[in-house]
Amino acid sequence: MIISTNWLNDYIAHGLTDDELADRLTMCGLEVESVETTGSSLEGVVIGHVLSREAHPDADRLSCCTVDVGSGEPLDIVCGAPNVAAGQRVAVATIGTTLHLPSRDNPTEKVAVTMKKAKIRGQESHGMICAEDELGLGDGHDGILVLDADAPIGTPFSVWLARKGVALTDSAIDISITPNRPDAISHLGIARDVSALTGKTICAPKVEIPAVGGSVSKRMSVSIEAQDACHRFVGILVEGVDIRESPDWMKQRLQTIGLRPRNVIVDITNYVMFECGQPLHAYDADTLAGRSIIVRKAKGGSTFTTLDSKERTLPAEALMICDAEREIGIAGIMGGENTEVTDRTTNVFIEAAWFEPSGIRRTAKALGLQTDASYRFERGVDAEGQAWAAKRAADLMVELAGGTLVDGMIDVHPVPYQAPVLPLRAQRVKDIVGADIAPSEMTRLLQAIGFGVAQAPGAPLTWQVTVPSFRPDVEREIDLVEEVARLFGYDNIPEPTHSRLPNFTPGMAADRQRREQLRDVLSGLGFRETCTNSMLPTETAARFNVASLPAGRFAGAVVETLNPITTEMSALRPSLLPGLLKVAGHNQNHGQTAIRMFEFGRVHTKRATDRTLVGDYTETETLLLLATGHWETGAWNREAREVDLFDLKGVVDRLIGALGLERPRYKEREADAVAAWGLDILIGKRWIGSLLRVSDAAADGFSLRSAAFVAELDFTSLADVSSQTLRPRFQAISRFPVVERDIAVVVDAAQAAGPMVEAIHRAGGDWLRGVTVFDLYEGEHVGTGQKSLAFGLRLGADRTLQDKEVDKTVERILRTLDSEFGAKLRG
Amino acid sequence: MNDSERSVAEAAADALRQLKEDIEGAVLDTAEAIDAYRIRYLSRKQGQITALMKRIPDVAPEDRKAFGQEINAAKATVEERLEAAMAALAGSATHQTAPTDLTLPGRSQPEGSLHPITQAARLITRVFESYGFSVAEGPEIEDDWHNFSALNFPPDHPARDMQDTFFIEEADREHGGILLRTHTSPVQIRVMEEVMKHGQPPIRVIVPGRVYRNEAISYKSYCLFHQVEGLYIDEGVTMADLKQILHAFARTLFGEDVRMRFRPSFFPFTEPSAEVDIWWKDENLPGGGRWMEILGCGMVDPNVLEGVGIDSEKYTGYAFGMGIERIAMLRFGIDDIRILYENDVRFLEQFS
Repeated sequence: MIISTNWLNDYIAHGLTDDELADRLTMCGLEVESVETTGSSLEGVVIGHVLSREAHPDADRLSCCTVDVGSGEPLDIVCGAPNVAAGQRVAVATIGTTLHLPSRDNPTEKVAVTMKKAKIRGQESHGMICAEDELGLGDGHDGILVLDADAPIGTPFSVWLARKGVALTDSAIDISITPNRPDAISHLGIARDVSALTGKTICAPKVEIPAVGGSVSKRMSVSIEAQDACHRFVGILVEGVDIRESPDWMKQRLQTIGLRPRNVIVDITNYVMFECGQPLHAYDADTLAGRSIIVRKAKGGSTFTTLDSKERTLPAEALMICDAEREIGIAGIMGGENTEVTDRTTNVFIEAAWFEPSGIRRTAKALGLQTDASYRFERGVDAEGQAWAAKRAADLMVELAGGTLVDGMIDVHPVPYQAPVLPLRAQRVKDIVGADIAPSEMTRLLQAIGFGVAQAPGAPLTWQVTVPSFRPDVEREIDLVEEVARLFGYDNIPEPTHSRLPNFTPGMAADRQRREQLRDVLSGLGFRETCTNSMLPTETAARFNVASLPAGRFAGAVVETLNPITTEMSALRPSLLPGLLKVAGHNQNHGQTAIRMFEFGRVHTKRATDRTLVGDYTETETLLLLATGHWETGAWNREAREVDLFDLKGVVDRLIGALGLERPRYKEREADAVAAWGLDILIGKRWIGSLLRVSDAAADGFSLRSAAFVAELDFTSLADVSSQTLRPRFQAISRFPVVERDIAVVVDAAQAAGPMVEAIHRAGGDWLRGVTVFDLYEGEHVGTGQKSLAFGLRLGADRTLQDKEVDKTVERILRTLDSEFGAKLRG
Repeated sequence: MNDSERSVAEAAADALRQLKEDIEGAVLDTAEAIDAYRIRYLSRKQGQITALMKRIPDVAPEDRKAFGQEINAAKATVEERLEAAMAALAGSATHQTAPTDLTLPGRSQPEGSLHPITQAARLITRVFESYGFSVAEGPEIEDDWHNFSALNFPPDHPARDMQDTFFIEEADREHGGILLRTHTSPVQIRVMEEVMKHGQPPIRVIVPGRVYRNEAISYKSYCLFHQVEGLYIDEGVTMADLKQILHAFARTLFGEDVRMRFRPSFFPFTEPSAEVDIWWKDENLPGGGRWMEILGCGMVDPNVLEGVGIDSEKYTGYAFGMGIERIAMLRFGIDDIRILYENDVRFLEQFS
């Protein structure tokens, strides 16, 4: 909400500069987002009298004027306005005056221009006759501003304006109002806090509230059917108003706070709302059928045209203002077109009501319509403020629109306000705030913002605090503690200089420890960590919801949001892969040839599983590795090499090794929409992920230039299986030498090596310390359809192995390879 | 076999065993070491293997063949090792004479990096872990109860507008609706619920995680970001304690001379509530800088405590929450949040 400092100063002489005021407000919980100064001092602008006007000899649209500015010799001024005429009193910017003129390129921006003697199409000009916008007084640029005929020639324009109550400069302070401060959504509300902060008293406009009844109650009737939704309805009638423009001072203030002036009646209702926080509505009284008003709930589904000429479908339970025949306004949100004040209106019925906040909010949400009125009602307006506001508006209509007040006031008040009284313990304030605030200070602070404070009998020290009607947010003792703390000043709370230690140091959760460990290993292996969007198009999510990837294995549905920002972000990712493919494509397009990346993140699927915490949703954390393009870059001593599956397989082995786990097993898996081919990764019997060559169909649209190899690991499972190995146990290191033996066997070319390695491990027994595959050969030296595989064996024990023992073991391995795979020792 | 033959054979076998171990274990990384190695085993006069070969005739005939084979194998090992060591030395830059142009570039290793969000999150969690906070995590898909109701957001209250929410399931009569969490505060509730199943406070926990906001994407806001939430519940916890720990935190992140201020604000789940600003020096600004909001905090609202069964008269506590992106952007001088999610290598490599 924007407040005008000139306006605020009407109510309180706080004596602060704009910056001081902004700082004090911010530090008491009314956060100032910006302070903007409007207008300029208009020094050098004087009132002039146009003595003569003649057409410019060389330009159709220009006039040559002589203007008396009270300085003796009249000035020659060239003027471009069509409405300039001899005899007018005008505002003249003399030579040397600096004005802030609207920029030609962008009329909403102002540029500083200093008046100089100029020749315009050959005619000298000694100044400028000003239009409204050039003076910063409004948007008018249709012609020059023509002043009253009695405006004194030669008087500074600013002096003349001041006499008319128009301020030249003002400051617009934009305050971010938190939802707990309904009392602060008005100038008087802000003034209350300023008063508490500065100790200066508030001077609110004097309003005499009429007695209930009187003539108005004979001419108008109001009844409330929905009494739970409308606790009070105050009505005042003003007759014989003249629908004219508002006076300059009012227009200026409304403009400063960002409102567009309309006509004096509408402007007054807005002005009073921003003055005291009570929304008002003005009806053309002559359009009210039966001269009656009924407040009741809509049935829902019917349509209603609001005063912005839009037809709206009413939600059920919407609270409506009706006359004898029809609906005439959506209560607390917007009035109807059928009864609005127009140029022909003469009699105005002013409504000031209290509507129940959550009902207004539901209706406003359902309509998708937030107004200045609904904003205030849904936060809670002053329960006692209706009569003051209605009469204040009526007084202004009498004063500024020439209306006549009809005596009396309608005040239907089915649910009278009862001020809550809350206990407040002095000790509780200390316990929460941690500062030693004197009890007298606590009471002073609360009283300064309108709370009634009475000490309760007995000990410990407790007060009975009466909550003012404009603070509906204060319902509990803790709310009072907050008021005291905020006015005392958080900066005044002393920090402890010593503190106690917690009596234990918490350990790190296994999954977090594992995640951080793998991050370090991967970055050490040259992988870059990414962080990608969790949201993507539903179609893309569906494409990657496949059984080869961890979330897809749950065979659930893609999770979508009900209110996406765009269809590009309508679903939650079932895999990190699409995000990483996008990143890889982006980077290839920007010249990167060697891409190794990884990401940890949550993936989602709609299906209840043993991991489900909320609804039917399963959320799993995965780790995705992606490599594409060069694995090794070229250099003077090395050829560049494209990545292949075995590069990534080695990385997976390394990661699982880093977790202290046994070697993973790999099983070839079937192709699917994402996997062109690849492997399942298992630890023991548990599936922990897959290692894939991404299919071209899946990569389509990501503008990749090379094949992508990826591993997506189910990190939740991985952390689970590795939780036992968090603390490594020392095992004695053998002091005895290890024996290495190499064997080469010939097998069928189609025979996979993986099972052979596993068989060697089985056959080798305890002595076998390691197996490598150091050669793979197909060609003329082995038969067609055959291949040679060479294994390096490392054997050792807690003693020196005899050659015979080693020979026996190697023989056992060879026998196993022969019997299981038909592998023959290569001659 | 007579006794003297036996003892000779045993001595030779022992010597051989020791020799094998020495042969395997010697370090051959310089020309000097290689030379000494060759002399020690193969020299015609001093060589140990040469000496053993001379003893073959002393060995009993039935063992002679095996003994000879062992010695030959040992000799072969020495020769292999010598050959390999000399080859390695010839190609090595540690050789006495430079083998080639040493000014050629080294063999490059691929460079990895951690994402700046990870780096900032690690920094933040490290600070609070050092104060005795443990780390908890929770789900990104949340229910209305944990995300709003349990945190004292009344239904149909404008406070719900403070956080634009992505909904997944509408609320119906039985269920409060399912959504993407808008903050990490629901994990506060989950942690307190868990503790209260079999215990009582103290609770001292921080919660890093990803949160979602249905806001237009711009240089200063994204549809998701990361938060770290902190919660401390114990007897006698006050706002003064909250100020102390956050001040200590700010000093760690932004330097000993950091200026910070607490100003009153509003969050439904804390009361009193505050926002914390630090003074960000910028010589281009009038006044030499400006206040930058870095986090929100407050004393846990009694309604929140009572909702999970904690006695709010006995226990008090504080909570705070900050955006990791904001901290990362401040520390690294990043001015557009979107670049964090673009993952351009030219950006990432600046954080290697």
